[in-house]
Amino acid sequence: MAREFQRGHKAKISDLTAGTDLYIGVQISGPGLSFDISCFGLDAQERLSDDRYFIFFNQPKSPEESIQQLGAQAGDTESFRVTLDRVPAHVRKLSFTATVDGAGQMSQIGPGYVRIVAGGAEVARYSFTGAEFSTERAVMLGDIYMKDVWRFAAVGQGFDGGLEALLTNFGGEVLEEEPEPASAPTPAAAPAFAPPAAQASAPPAFAAPPAPPQTPQPAPAAPTPPPAQGFPPPPGSTPPPVAPAVHAAATIAAPIAPPGFFTGQPGVGQHTPAGGTIPPPPGQPGVPGQPGPYGQQQPAPYGQPGQQQPYGQPGQPFPGQQPPYPGQPGQPGPYGGPPPAALHGTPPHGMPQGTPPQGGTPVGVQAALEKYREAPTGQRWTLQNPRLIRVDLGTDPQPVLARQGSMVLYQGKVDFGYKGAGFAGRIMGNATGQEMQLMRCTGRGQVFLAENSAHVHPIELQGDAICVSAESVLAFDESLQHEVRRIEGHGIPGGALFTMQFQGHGTVVVKTNGVPVVLPVTPTTYADSNAIVAWSAAAQVVISSQVRLRRNSYPGHSGETVNLQFRGAPGNFIVVQPYEV
Amino acid sequence: MTMNQTPISGYAPTPVAARMENHGSSMLKVAMQSGHDLFARTGSMIAYEGFVQYEANPPAIRQMASQWVTGEGMPLMKCHGDGLLYLADYGADVVCLQLNGDSLSVNGTNILAFDAHLQWGVQRVKGMAKFAGQGLFNVAISGTGWVALTSRGTPIVVDCGSGEDETYVDPDALVAWSTGLKMKGKRSFKASSMIGRGSGEAYQLGFSGQGFVVVQPSEDSTDRLRARG
Repeated sequence: MAREFQRGHKAKISDLTAGTDLYIGVQISGPGLSFDISCFGLDAQERLSDDRYFIFFNQPKSPEESIQQLGAQAGDTESFRVTLDRVPAHVRKLSFTATVDGAGQMSQIGPGYVRIVAGGAEVARYSFTGAEFSTERAVMLGDIYMKDVWRFAAVGQGFDGGLEALLTNFGGEVLEEEPEPASAPTPAAAPAFAPPAAQASAPPAFAAPPAPPQTPQPAPAAPTPPPAQGFPPPPGSTPPPVAPAVHAAATIAAPIAPPGFFTGQPGVGQHTPAGGTIPPPPGQPGVPGQPGPYGQQQPAPYGQPGQQQPYGQPGQPFPGQQPPYPGQPGQPGPYGGPPPAALHGTPPHGMPQGTPPQGGTPVGVQAALEKYREAPTGQRWTLQNPRLIRVDLGTDPQPVLARQGSMVLYQGKVDFGYKGAGFAGRIMGNATGQEMQLMRCTGRGQVFLAENSAHVHPIELQGDAICVSAESVLAFDESLQHEVRRIEGHGIPGGALFTMQFQGHGTVVVKTNGVPVVLPVTPTTYADSNAIVAWSAAAQVVISSQVRLRRNSYPGHSGETVNLQFRGAPGNFIVVQPYEV
Repeated sequence: MTMNQTPISGYAPTPVAARMENHGSSMLKVAMQSGHDLFARTGSMIAYEGFVQYEANPPAIRQMASQWVTGEGMPLMKCHGDGLLYLADYGADVVCLQLNGDSLSVNGTNILAFDAHLQWGVQRVKGMAKFAGQGLFNVAISGTGWVALTSRGTPIVVDCGSGEDETYVDPDALVAWSTGLKMKGKRSFKASSMIGRGSGEAYQLGFSGQGFVVVQPSEDSTDRLRARG
């Protein structure tokens, strides 16, 4: 069972779990708030001496991948994977932080937690609520730190100033105010948080032939190499709020950009008339890739509030000179007190003008698709996004068995073979005709697996065993020992529930419809046989036809449904999906 | 009004910042303006503010899309006027793209809306005709303007040019690709392995060349908007 931590509690990781491959989940939420959850890898002086160990949304992993940001999953707002024995020696402390993105303060948050999951079970949890905070805009939630051995500490310390204050506290350099994309596009601005080489080089690889130059490189023709206007600022300082006139000069003179290549940057307070009323001539390669938050030179994703891509060209139907959309005074809002955006201006609903066009972020197809790019390779199983997983058959030519029809894309030389009937036949014995057919993927290459946009969850087995409902198996390493088990019971559609038990070393990919819940096995743990996804194999399954209970809870229900009761020692768990097949 | 709107106030639209924007992951917000028309999937409108009019069967589309559909309603409608238009396709993820002279091929069922001034045309995917049961049509779009795609689940963008090997895609999961890629159909299951199921991974589209492919994590390519009539 998970050990509950209070603020200030500390423990050795080895007392919590024998594993060193940890999953750190953070749940934090509040009405109308969004959060940036980051991990700082600090040195012995508690400084962020190496900014490649600032793991956040723009830099989702450390160079050797010992710290990875995994995204929202399993009920966690954000999650990380930390492989402690691969964390380099100079990183002594991993500090997990959450900052409010935009307006808001920490007292508004609801109940949340930081938890550590290892070996498939939650081993530690530090719960907090907004009542512990007041006007802070950032909070250090917990630390995993090295003091002879790795330890975990529940911190819960707030910071008034938000992410900048946190960065300053850790000795980092703040380039820009966090939520806005950086203001002055400065080529090669030596951002304080230099992006790792892999990220900086990503855009070029992506460029399609007809595309305009997208790479954040200084344009050859840029006439005015913008001086380092405050970039990089001294540690801890906030950046200059506006783009100085230098930028405007560059805008006017820049010669080559294709039309539509401009991006307005709200948040840049002023703009010279040149940029606003006279749209810059096509040809803006010059002001290249604008340093994103923290100077990551990545094209900003499309559609971010604060991003603007006006039709600011001469001759375009959208001249980009209408008054701002929201700002029409005197127009009664239609619904009482609607948000500003609902106010109709009398002029056409045109392109609103948060700010006039400015050169900067590469826009276009590549930029917009950047956030959907393929995840970096390296591991055998990589979660591309919550609904898509990639298996790399290149490193280890061990075959993978996958549900037939689950391949959406592959690269390389991969053969798909039919899995022998001996195995499939047993599964097909299911009287309902719910057959499960597998295919064997062999060869060298990457295969992307998904099914019906179900959530996918790789579960790495290290000698332990797990039972998975046959319908929920997406793929698994053939090296795993697997056998089909049949759970019989009156009332189960088709007469029996088919499960597959996996054991050994390897990965099973389970799919769920919706975000599942993982419950510990207690003396009174029941699950609907249709909603059960998986359970740890040590738990014993008992069919319990609690017909009456079900009947009451579902008026009109036939009462046929069979519940499964689970018994087992503490440490066992079951996984249930919010969907009854 | 005395209703407490706090719990839902977080879903109010953000101020318009571009011609097309996401509202949430699966809703598209288009800032409409006179003279700047939009083609949208018929039936995809979920709400609008202002004065937006719809032309269900514009002659221009009838010409272009004559081979796309056979008989029943036209797949696209023309929207014009001033206002805010909200579009969605049964909860599918929406991706808006700004073309800068790029060109893109989009699977016919994955297109949600695009600027009317873009050059576009309907093509039949070569090599797919023999894969009966699914007439795969795609819309080639080029020019400078905005396009919105739908994807069932978060899509993935894969570079074709990264390896010497071709990239193979399940046609049901294909969303879009950059034009200029070479495409061919491939049957990867050996005849002896075609036991039982006819679909599976029997057919793929192989892409080669410099460019990218967008794929959705779902093999559900049914056209829900059209199915509704």
